[in-house]
Amino acid sequence: MTTPVIPPGSDTRSTRATPSRPAHRLPFWVNQRLGLLVLVVGLSALFGVVQPTFLDERLVLFPLVRDVSTLTVVALAQMVVLSVGHMNLAVGRMAAFGALFAGLGYDRLGLPLPLGLLLCLCAGAAIGALTGWIITRTGVSSFVVTLAMDFALLGLVSLLYSALTENAAFTTKPSGLAELRSYSLADICVGPVCGSPVIPQLAQFTVLALLGLGFLYGATRIGRELLLTGANPAAAELSGIPTGRRVILAHTLSGLLAALAGFMAAVSTGTFRASIGDDFMLPSFLGSVLGGTLLTGGVVSVVGALLGTALVGVIRKGLDLLGVGLESLNVYLGCVLLLALSADRVRTVVSHRKVVRST
Amino acid sequence: MSDVLLDCQAIVKVFPGVRALDGVGLRLTAGSVHALLGENGAGKSTLIKVLTGVHTPDSGRLLWCGREVRPRSPLEATRTGIGVVHQERNLIPGFSVAENITLQSPPSHRGLIDRAAMTDPALRCLGELGLDLDPDRPVRELSVAQQQLVEIAKALYTESRVLLLDEPTASLSPREAERLFEVVRRLKARGTCVVFVSHKLEEVFAICDTVTVLRDGASVLESSPLAEHTQDDVVGLMVGRAHAATEMRPREVDTSAPPVLSFDGVSTAAGHRDISLDVRPGEIVGLYGLVGAGRSELVKAMLGLDRVTGGEIRVHGEPVRIASPRQALHRFGIGYLTENRKEEGVFLDQPIARNITVTVWKRLAKALGFVSAREERDVAHDLVERLGIRIAGLERHAGELSGGNQQKVSLAKWLAADTRLLIVDEPTVGVDVRTKHAFHELIWELARDGLPILLISSDLAEMVTLADRVVVMADHRIRGEVDNDRDYERMSGRIIRIIHDRATSAVRPREVEA
Repeated sequence: MTTPVIPPGSDTRSTRATPSRPAHRLPFWVNQRLGLLVLVVGLSALFGVVQPTFLDERLVLFPLVRDVSTLTVVALAQMVVLSVGHMNLAVGRMAAFGALFAGLGYDRLGLPLPLGLLLCLCAGAAIGALTGWIITRTGVSSFVVTLAMDFALLGLVSLLYSALTENAAFTTKPSGLAELRSYSLADICVGPVCGSPVIPQLAQFTVLALLGLGFLYGATRIGRELLLTGANPAAAELSGIPTGRRVILAHTLSGLLAALAGFMAAVSTGTFRASIGDDFMLPSFLGSVLGGTLLTGGVVSVVGALLGTALVGVIRKGLDLLGVGLESLNVYLGCVLLLALSADRVRTVVSHRKVVRST
Repeated sequence: MSDVLLDCQAIVKVFPGVRALDGVGLRLTAGSVHALLGENGAGKSTLIKVLTGVHTPDSGRLLWCGREVRPRSPLEATRTGIGVVHQERNLIPGFSVAENITLQSPPSHRGLIDRAAMTDPALRCLGELGLDLDPDRPVRELSVAQQQLVEIAKALYTESRVLLLDEPTASLSPREAERLFEVVRRLKARGTCVVFVSHKLEEVFAICDTVTVLRDGASVLESSPLAEHTQDDVVGLMVGRAHAATEMRPREVDTSAPPVLSFDGVSTAAGHRDISLDVRPGEIVGLYGLVGAGRSELVKAMLGLDRVTGGEIRVHGEPVRIASPRQALHRFGIGYLTENRKEEGVFLDQPIARNITVTVWKRLAKALGFVSAREERDVAHDLVERLGIRIAGLERHAGELSGGNQQKVSLAKWLAADTRLLIVDEPTVGVDVRTKHAFHELIWELARDGLPILLISSDLAEMVTLADRVVVMADHRIRGEVDNDRDYERMSGRIIRIIHDRATSAVRPREVEA
C-alpha cells in the first residue's frame, strides 16, 4: 500500500451538467400526431367543400365514424403487439373468433347483449393468450405463430359456423343490438341538450379502449415494461422485467381488442358471420403505423392509432364520393402511407443530425 | 524483404466521445506474418474495420503498393486485395464449400452462375492450402475449424495479398490450431502477408515475424521485428506502464464478515465446473480471464438465464436457486451491469428517465400500477446528479449519449434499486480514459459504503486499481486467486502466468464436449 493519490470524486463532480430543458428542440412540424390531425381536419374540410354530400350527417359521416371506430380498435389490437416488437397477423381471424362466441351466446344461450359481449371478449383474450404462450414457449417468431393461428382460426371459425348455423350466420338479435347499431349521441339527451348525430353509440367502446390503453402506456408500470420489452428484450430481461409474461399480456390484449372489433363489426353489419374481420389485417398496420407506432417495438401512440385510422377513413370515403374508382383510390392511399412514413424518417434523421452536431 | 504491400500512415478514426484510433501506423510486407496486439478496446477491431473498408478513416493515408487507396466498402477492400477472416464466421451455411469460396465473383456463363465451373477453382484454392475437403458439402456440416479454413480459401480465391485473421484460434483445439499455422506458413511462402490478431502470446511468438502493438488507439510499437522483443516486453507495451493502475486510497475490508454471495463447487450447463468464490460486504472481488473464459456466462447462469447443474450458490448464507434476473433483483437485491452496453444494458431508443427507473417501477407503482411521472423524474434526476451524467434532458433518448454516459445510465438503474450486491461486467470497455477514471471512483465509493462488488474485467490495470482479490478464470474453471498488492507489474505477471500455464496445456474441457 503506497500513498493515496486521488481523492474520490474530485473532478467528475465539478464538471457536471445539470439536466435542464432540452438543449435543442425539434421543430413542431415534425410532430407526427399534429400533422395527422391537420391532415384529417384539412382533408375533411376540402372534401366538404368540393363535394357537399361528404358532410351529410346521416348518410356519410355517421357510417364513416362508425367504421373508423371499429378500425381504430383493430389498429389498437395491432399496436399492443407492436409495442413488444411482435406482430399479430391473425387480428382479423381473432375478431371473427370472438364474434362467433357472441353470436353463439345470443343464438343458443339467449344471453343479453352485455353478456354476449363479455363472452366474445373472453374468447378473444383466451385465443390471444394462447398465441402469446406459444410464442414465448417455443421462441418461434410472432410472425410465424400468428400466421399459423390465422389459418387455424380461418378453418375453425368456418367449420363452427357451418356446423352450428344454417346460413353460416347467427341471426338471432338480442334486444338492444339494433339500437346500438344505429343510435348516435343524438339519441341521448340531457334535458334539451342532445349529442351530435355524427357520433355513433358504438364509439363508446373505442373511447373506452383508447382511454384504457392511454392510461396503460402513459402512466403505469406494466405499460412501460411492455415498451421496454419491445425496445430491447435482452436488456429488459436483465433489468428485471418478466419479458415472457409481458409478451403473453400483449397478445392477450391484442386478442381481446380484436374480439371487441369483431363484435363492433358484427353489430354494424347486423349479423355474426365468418367473414367478419376478413379485411382487418392491413388497416390494423396502416392505422397504428401511420399513427407513429414503430414496427420494431418500444414506441406506441394511442391517439395516433385513432388519427391514422381516421385519415385513411376520410381519404377513402372522400375519394369514393368524388367518384374515384377503387383501384386509383388504393394508389392514392399507398402514396399517403409512404409520405406519412417518410415524415417519420425525416424526424429521426433531423433529430440525429442535431445530436451529432452538438457533440 | 522491403516489398511493402500496405502502408498505413497516421490513421485517425473518431467516434462520438472516443478517439478510437489516434495516429496509427502499420506497414505490411509481402511474405510475412504480422502480429497485431493490444488489450481489449485498444483499437484492433477498429483498425481492422478501417483496413477492410467498413469504416473510413477521418484522417491518415492507406498506401497500397505505394499508391493511395480509400476502400469505402468491404467489397472494395476485397477487390484491392485485402481479405479478412472474422472471429464470427461469415459463411453462408446452406451453400456448398465451392459456392462459399467463389461467392464474391462466381464463375458465370451468360449471366448465369456456372455451378460446374465452381469446383475447379475451389479445389485449386483448397489444394494450395493443403486441405482435403469435398467442395460440394454444405458448409453447415463442417466443424468450426474447417469453416475457418474455408474462409481462408475464400480469401485466396479473391487473390487477397493481405489476409487479416482476427482471433483465429479462439475457438480451435491445439491440434486444429497447429493445422491453421501450417496453412499460415503456406500463405507466407506464396508471398501473402498474414496479419495475425491474437491474445495468445505463445502463438504469436511461434509464427509471427513482425509486430505492431496498439494501446488506447495509438501504435506504441510499429511494425517491429518480433525477434527483438520478449513476451514480457510486449505485455508491458500492451498494458502500458504509465497508466497501468491508478492508486486508490486504501479501504478496509472486514475479511471475517460472512460473505454476501458465495459459490460452492458450482457447475453449469454452460460448461463451468467446480466454481467456488466468496464476495464479502464492501469487498471488490475481481474475476479476471481472457475473452471466452466463461465469466459473464457464470453470472448469467446464476441469474437463472442458464441452468446451474451442481454445487450451491448462497446469498447471505441461504442456499438459493435464482429463477430470473427479476427475482435476483426484487428478492435478493442483485444487480448486474452487463458487458454489452448496447445489446443488454441500455434501451437506446427510450428516454433516459425510463432507462434509469426501470428497476424501481415496482416500488413506485400505486393502485392500478400507476407510476407518477414526477416521482420517476425525481429518482432519475437524483441519480443523474449523483453520477454526474451529462445529459440534455431526461426525456432525451439514451442512444444520444456518449458511451461513457450510457454506461453510467446503465449503472444508475442498479443504484436506483438500492441493490445489495452489484456485479459489474467490463464496465469501462470502449469509454474514454476520463470517464473510465470517474467510473473507477464510483465503484470504489460504492464498495467503501459497504456494497459487495463482483468485478468482471479483461483489463488488468482495472483489476489492479480496484479489486481486493483477483480470481482468475480460464476455460470455465477457476485457475487461481491472487491477493491484490497494488503492484501492477507483479500482479500482471502473476495473473498472466496463471492463465498461460493452463492455456497451453492439453485439450480443453469445452472442446471435448463439442
